[in-house]
Amino acid sequence: MSEDTLREFPERESSPTALVYSLTCTPDLALCFAARTDGLLISVDGGHTWEPAYAGLDLDGPLPTTSLVFSPDLTRERTLIAGVSGGVVYSIDGGKTWQPVALASPPPTVSALVISPNFIADGIVLAGTMEDGVFRSTDRGSRWSAWNFGLLDLNVLCLAISPDFARDETLYAGVDTGIFRSTNGGRAWREVELPFGYDPVLSLKLAPDYAQDADDAGGVIFAGTESQGLWRSTDRGQTWNRVGADVISGPVNAIVLAPEFGMPMRRSTRKIARSLLVMADDTLYFSHDGGETWEADSITLAGMTAVAAPQGFAAPLLVGLENGEIIYVMPPLQQEQSERR
Amino acid sequence: MSKKKPDWQTPGVIFQPHVSAGVQAGINHLVDAISPTLGPYPRVVLYDTSIGTGGRLPQVLDDGGTIARRIIGLRNRDADVGAMLVRHMLWRQHEDVGDGTATTAVLFQAIYNEGVRYIAAGGNPMRLRVYLEQGLRVILSELAAMTTQLQGKDSLTRLAEIICYDAPMAKLLGEVFDIIGEYGRLEIRSSKSRETEREYVEGMYWDGGVLSRAMIANTPGMRAELENPALLLTNLDIEDPRDLLPALAIVVRMEIPGLVIVARKLSDVVQGFIAMNQQQQRIKAQIIAVQTPGVGLEAQHNTLADLAVLTGGHPFTQMAGEKLSAIKPEDLGRARRVWATKEHVGIIGGRGDPRALRQHIAGLRRAFNQVSKTEDRAALQQRIGKLLGGSATLWVAGMTETELEFNKGLAERTAEALRGAIREGVVPGGGVALLNCRAALRVRLAQAEEPEERAAYHILIEALAAPIRTLLHNAGLEPGAIFADIETAGPGYGFDVRTSEIVDVAGAGIYDAASVLRAVANNAIRTAALALTTDVVVHRRNPPESTLTD
Repeated sequence: MSEDTLREFPERESSPTALVYSLTCTPDLALCFAARTDGLLISVDGGHTWEPAYAGLDLDGPLPTTSLVFSPDLTRERTLIAGVSGGVVYSIDGGKTWQPVALASPPPTVSALVISPNFIADGIVLAGTMEDGVFRSTDRGSRWSAWNFGLLDLNVLCLAISPDFARDETLYAGVDTGIFRSTNGGRAWREVELPFGYDPVLSLKLAPDYAQDADDAGGVIFAGTESQGLWRSTDRGQTWNRVGADVISGPVNAIVLAPEFGMPMRRSTRKIARSLLVMADDTLYFSHDGGETWEADSITLAGMTAVAAPQGFAAPLLVGLENGEIIYVMPPLQQEQSERR
Repeated sequence: MSKKKPDWQTPGVIFQPHVSAGVQAGINHLVDAISPTLGPYPRVVLYDTSIGTGGRLPQVLDDGGTIARRIIGLRNRDADVGAMLVRHMLWRQHEDVGDGTATTAVLFQAIYNEGVRYIAAGGNPMRLRVYLEQGLRVILSELAAMTTQLQGKDSLTRLAEIICYDAPMAKLLGEVFDIIGEYGRLEIRSSKSRETEREYVEGMYWDGGVLSRAMIANTPGMRAELENPALLLTNLDIEDPRDLLPALAIVVRMEIPGLVIVARKLSDVVQGFIAMNQQQQRIKAQIIAVQTPGVGLEAQHNTLADLAVLTGGHPFTQMAGEKLSAIKPEDLGRARRVWATKEHVGIIGGRGDPRALRQHIAGLRRAFNQVSKTEDRAALQQRIGKLLGGSATLWVAGMTETELEFNKGLAERTAEALRGAIREGVVPGGGVALLNCRAALRVRLAQAEEPEERAAYHILIEALAAPIRTLLHNAGLEPGAIFADIETAGPGYGFDVRTSEIVDVAGAGIYDAASVLRAVANNAIRTAALALTTDVVVHRRNPPESTLTD
């Protein structure tokens, strides 16, 4: 598929000023956030228009923002937490006002954030940093402590949290030299043995049914590496296999699972939805069977830095670019359907 | 009528049957003092410390190793030999794994007494020893098959409670070990408060504080804190300011905000030189000098190697004959933060290559698994623990000095057993793991042809039930009927004395550390087998002065 074809799909608004680190949306697209080197943008119309989110903060200059998480139920609690250069900023009113919080001195750069699926009850959020390991907050982001027992590499590139965190307290951290696992809510870490040595792990994703028994196809983790491609474990990180080796090349910067991943595809069948995409270099690769096979159709777009699929792979994808633009891109499945129509 | 005083001056050689009778009396004397401490409802032993010191509080003991350690002689010289044999065995058990001394004592006693009876009836002690040791291998193999790994705070807490019978302490230790793991650094200290508490310390720290108090004199809490400093690593004495000039020049040229000099000694001249240059603003970097951690050249060398990997620096050591004048920018280590007090130096966020750090720790772990000497293992465990990025302190409380010391000892033993359990797994507790081994011994017994072989397996089968019988007895229960119920319930079942129910002990979360049970079996059976072959005792003149008990 050519780049020209893709350019037919962009929706409105782009702001070609800064690199997009990450894109985060609510499933209903009521709120979308773009974390960029020049700050945080917010969209309340499904990504059509974007506004600076830190308007309430008295800033001297741009506040580079790398990541954002929000309360799992924004109707009940409107907490947003953004990872920035030097710490975090958090809002308890859906982004109207923000409070900066310093994590430590010297100030670390937050590279990744995860929020407990049980956040409304436990108030736990964790931040991975570029040089200072993992920080943990148990009071909704207002106070943070470093918890790096056993984390032998403090350059955290990504974090992934168990969907059943309230019960299993399990987290994974992708670092410059591999993966570490915590089974006590991020307070201590153990090395995960990997067959590919000490390659940086740039992206991690746990399947929504990760906490189920392995016999029920639970325990699935995907890990994207810098030079060793995409790896999958189906037993909670005990063993790993490379997937998509003949297709995926380059650093795997993002892994996105379809929202329905792990659920039955139709009520009448026992088939489970296993769609995912990975962003490697400037290309999006698609699989619909948990990474066993990969679609011939991929999407290549120069300068792609972030991707989100808030409404699944049957709807347009939101893509961030290194020049700061945020555009919509049709996934191959959607394109096929519209061509048939 | 006056008591006959023991004759400690006359040397002598004692032969059978006096040897067995005397040694057996000593063994039973000591084990009878220790066996009441077995189980969740143990009795304690009061150790009278007033002998010769005048009216001190008695020490409360519930650990067989320490009780045995306190008994340093019996009046009867033949009995004393047996008692000292048990004492040595239990202290070794205590030192190696921290727990299981009462079980070892009870198991040893049961084997020895039955063995003496068999030998007195004409059995061959040497053949019996061979088959007892063969039975030991069967037991160890069975224990290995029963071993499972322990994970999570709740499991660790349950095991801790089985070891220390102190629920609040067990809860804290369960949490601590879930965080620090089997190699992690745990300091157990006396608390001034009424509650036992735990504290976690970020980063790594070593003994070896600032070389000059003047360097922390103006810091809050006498604690210097440096951000993004460089580290000069050496165990040399820095006597001449000129030795330090190349390193200082690098710091000034590269505008590094701080320098931590890790050295064995910094002369007054050098300290004055640094202070003067800082006063005159020639050096803007904050500089502190700390003592090279470690006692002795080898320990210092090892610590410097660890610090070098952690911070990415190069250590200048006496052993290598290096000079600081040859220092290059890449020889300086770097860290996100360093703190120093008069006693300690801590590093947070060492900026060495994490690949090198992970390989270094993996190498230390391999060495730990290969060495057998207790001191070497302890040193390696400390090195690994310090590099893991954090440590914990358990602040142990007690209403009185006696209780405080008792609780500290309890915490130390429990911690040691928890380390072993995390490292080497757990087996069903409450005496059930040993009981489960009897099935395999019965198979061997059925196949045995020699009388000594049959006797050995028979002795072991009976002896493996002794710990659970003692545990029930100590809980004030009648062992006979309950033991029959346990046998009827089948393998894996035991008696939970706290609920007074026959339970699947593993299912109920009742475990013993596998390392402890292995050490119990090894120590008790090997020592009993050896003791049974003793035919002659030689008494020497003037044994060391000792506190004697009747």
